[in-house]
Amino acid sequence: MANSKKSFHISDFSKYMCLVSIVLVFGVFSVIIPNFMTPYSLQNMMTEAAPLLLMAGGMSFIIYTGGIDLGAGAMVSCTCVLSGVYVAQFGNAIIPIMLAAGILMGLTNGLLVTKLKLPSFIVTLCTMNFWSYIALNLCPNGSEIIPMDKRFMVQWATQKVFGIPIMFFIALAGVAVLYIFQQYTVYGKAIYGVGANVSATRLAGVNTDMAQISAFVISGACSALAGALYAYKLKSAVPTVGDALTLTAIASVALGGTSMAGGRGSVLRTALGVVTITGVTSGLNMMGVDPLWKDIVIGVILIIAVCLNTDTRGRDLIVK
Amino acid sequence: MGELLFEAKGVGKTYGSNTVLHDIDMQIYSGEVIGLIGENGAGKSTLMKLISGVEKSSMGEMFFMGKPYSASSILDANHQGIGMVFQEQSLVGSLTIAQNIYLGREKKYSTCGFVNWNKMNQDAKKALERIDMDIDPSKKVRDIDFAARQMVEIAKVLDVVTEAANGHAIILLDEPTTVLSDEEIKKLFVQVRNMKEQGNAVIFISHRLDEVLDITDRIYVFKDGEETAVMQTEGADVNLLYEKMIGRSTTGEFYVEHKQTVPSDEVILEVNDLSLFGAFNHVSFELKRGEVLGLCGVEGSGKEDVCAVLVGDAAPTAGTIKIKGKECTFANPYQARKKGILSVPKERRDEGMIGILSIEDNIIVSHMDTLSNHSFLSAKKTRRIAQEWVEKAGVKCVSINDRINQLSGGNAQKVIFARALESGCEVLILNHPTRGVDVGSKEEIYDLVRDMTAAGNSIILLGDTLDECIGLSSRIIVLRDGLVTGMFDCPVGEKPLQLDIVQKMM
Repeated sequence: MANSKKSFHISDFSKYMCLVSIVLVFGVFSVIIPNFMTPYSLQNMMTEAAPLLLMAGGMSFIIYTGGIDLGAGAMVSCTCVLSGVYVAQFGNAIIPIMLAAGILMGLTNGLLVTKLKLPSFIVTLCTMNFWSYIALNLCPNGSEIIPMDKRFMVQWATQKVFGIPIMFFIALAGVAVLYIFQQYTVYGKAIYGVGANVSATRLAGVNTDMAQISAFVISGACSALAGALYAYKLKSAVPTVGDALTLTAIASVALGGTSMAGGRGSVLRTALGVVTITGVTSGLNMMGVDPLWKDIVIGVILIIAVCLNTDTRGRDLIVK
Repeated sequence: MGELLFEAKGVGKTYGSNTVLHDIDMQIYSGEVIGLIGENGAGKSTLMKLISGVEKSSMGEMFFMGKPYSASSILDANHQGIGMVFQEQSLVGSLTIAQNIYLGREKKYSTCGFVNWNKMNQDAKKALERIDMDIDPSKKVRDIDFAARQMVEIAKVLDVVTEAANGHAIILLDEPTTVLSDEEIKKLFVQVRNMKEQGNAVIFISHRLDEVLDITDRIYVFKDGEETAVMQTEGADVNLLYEKMIGRSTTGEFYVEHKQTVPSDEVILEVNDLSLFGAFNHVSFELKRGEVLGLCGVEGSGKEDVCAVLVGDAAPTAGTIKIKGKECTFANPYQARKKGILSVPKERRDEGMIGILSIEDNIIVSHMDTLSNHSFLSAKKTRRIAQEWVEKAGVKCVSINDRINQLSGGNAQKVIFARALESGCEVLILNHPTRGVDVGSKEEIYDLVRDMTAAGNSIILLGDTLDECIGLSSRIIVLRDGLVTGMFDCPVGEKPLQLDIVQKMM
């Protein structure tokens, strides 16, 4: 009985971990940095968080299946570059175009994973290089700025309505769509089933391949949208923008209490994880900490979060 | 008869509230071969596990060489002189024969962490020669055939136990002959007799009664976890053994026979000349609306494989499956369900329950695509459906949001039955539907089966026991070694005798 009491305590903690950590992070930083909670700083954080919300939200679905997408960051880089370079030509139609590109990239991953029966981390580790190639090939000399005379096309995204950046509204709408998908569609249920017990779900007559593919497609679409938002936010095509984002996105998902073993979690929790991570990175920036430390801090957060989420009996199998 | 080596007094094993082995008394004398027979699930393997140290007994005492005996692990049992050759082979395929024989005992060949492989191979050679086996011990196990692997396993166990207790070791053989040819079985028996002459004792489990009569000195018969008879092999015959194995007669009431329906003439499923290479051949049958068709056979008879093909988990190598006269093929269980075939799988925890999802999700999972409106599910509707099933099937739970893995075996099985019924599939394959379920839940599940047929579903049943299969089915097909060996009609009041069916099975 003592044992069950203990495990209850731990699962209880991981349930509220994201809320506790938000309060903790924002509390500590607002004490250390006097202008941490000012409207200007909060607006900045919202623009910072918007693309990450989409990317981590999409990534959640792959993690529900028990898989992982190591190439999500490279997808963001790729679509950021594509949007930055071609926005001058296509205008704002670039957003639906990127969405289509993301779906295609996700579909590639999904088909490789399901049809060749390969582990997702191998597949995405390999396809990642394609996305990086496209990004680096289009921008061989580093970042390319969107020409001044075309800026008006991308200006709207960072403008503010009621003091909140439009980008942030887009991200919130994205999270809402993902939530509906996860909660109220057949695919959402099937995705959780795959993560919880793939052989039982398969024998129950669920099209598990389709479920896995849809998870990759959603993640691809979300990463692509995030990439476009980065181009709009930075007003340039940056081929390395996504490099560190895979880690950040996975950390956000884990911090939200989503199990890396699959079958559990919610995009709403992931959103809270994103808020925490954004708070940490912005806080460190404002403190003037060397940006190189940022990834180390996020890495430590990820390890702690996964540690608290993992079944203490060690039955969770991470990355299938 | 030699000295008393081993004695069990009132030994039993329970899993939770489920008693699988009860009050077993057994004596093993030196220089004796003991036969252990019984149906699947009679408790033979459980007893072997207790003796060989795989599991701990829940009651009773065991004595080895006059001293109280308990083994915490297989290795511990080995060191005391008791070794087991497992039914599922326990060799490591990517290691050599010699490495397998000395697995976990490499220490005596190693100096400063370096292993003297030559010496190990020489010793392995000797160990193999002890059972007249001439094979290069540096070969990898995965490169030799099954029969040779079985012999290597025996050599390994023999080597371990003779090292520990020369001349008074006990060797447990769990169905060693299933993968062997007649010639190889003869060789094995020569070895068994050799071991016996050296003063060791052998426990021999087999489904093949003629072998048991051939090799053993005494026979223990198990049924439903209890010891029903002990007899000298001299004077026993196949019919006597059958009788003791089967024991009590069926009671119609337990299987809700008054609700057994007479199947209509409409053929729902027609299987023609179906074969799966290496598993079964030329299986043909018809399944009518409202019928319960029992598939009987011992393990390895091919009945499981027939199921796997029908639910789309394996592709047949020949033959056709027709549903309502239309020929169908399925590449996966999803397509099979779309055509109207769904199973209640055998391994409930691994293949049935989607453990960490709610009862509600587990119930609707097979039906949600047809339930949805353009892929969107109404939470109100799914909740109502789940609630209805929980009440109808009598699932004991706090709410439908409970995780299914918080339920007891019987309740979880009812949820999976609800899923199968909710799916709308007309052909349901029940694979060991009452495995590990307590008696009360069993009756409720039998009642559900009757409701299924009354509602016009057709069922293919792989019973947990033969008794259950006869009680529930309206027709029975018997398989042996992948071939149909018999067909029995089982209308209410004229159920066939177990003896007749068992004779076709073995």
